[in-house]
Amino acid sequence: MPPAMEPVPAKPLFYDLALNFVGFPSLEDKIEEGQSKQKQASGISG
Amino acid sequence: MTIEQNQKATREKTLATTYLELHRFGQNGDYDRALKAANRILHMAPQEEKALHCKIVCLIQQSKFNEALQTMQRNSNLSRSFYFEKAYCQYRQNQTTQALETLEQVEELDFRLKELKAQIFYRLERFSEAHEIYHDIIKNSQDDYTDERETNLGAVLVQLSDESQKDM
Repeated sequence: MPPAMEPVPAKPLFYDLALNFVGFPSLEDKIEEGQSKQKQASGISG
Repeated sequence: MTIEQNQKATREKTLATTYLELHRFGQNGDYDRALKAANRILHMAPQEEKALHCKIVCLIQQSKFNEALQTMQRNSNLSRSFYFEKAYCQYRQNQTTQALETLEQVEELDFRLKELKAQIFYRLERFSEAHEIYHDIIKNSQDDYTDERETNLGAVLVQLSDESQKDM
């Protein structure tokens, strides 16, 4: 005879939310460096 | 302009152009091309912390956690502040205790470090500590992940109630 079935708790669903926050740092300063050298302007984002 | 000045200007312009490419590839989620752009920058200028940072992000997005960890280790000076990325890689490599140790070096946790810490506590079966963090971030965050976060909180609560039943 097989042993009687027993209910086991289901493994609860659990999301990896941290992965959504793996992103690039802001590169604006690096992109503007090349341009602002020519125009000593304080840009919109500067 | 002297030849040297000229070379310097050209180099800076090339760097800025490559950063622009890197930025665009990142926005499009094209981490394969982004990785190549980051490598081009690091080849020209090995001390570029932001390029290294992007490279690590690309490797994580490609699920190359071990390579990301090794790259950070090889450039430990530049990657000193990459706590989140380092702990995340350790978490995904099942080095959960080390991941927690990495986060414990940070004095003040921002929201994403808290999110990761809650997941680490969950995996370490330290459910009441995970619960505390979720309580805090659910109260104080407004983003697109509210439903998922409440699912995670639910999982924590299930485990906590399992624990208290076992204790009885």
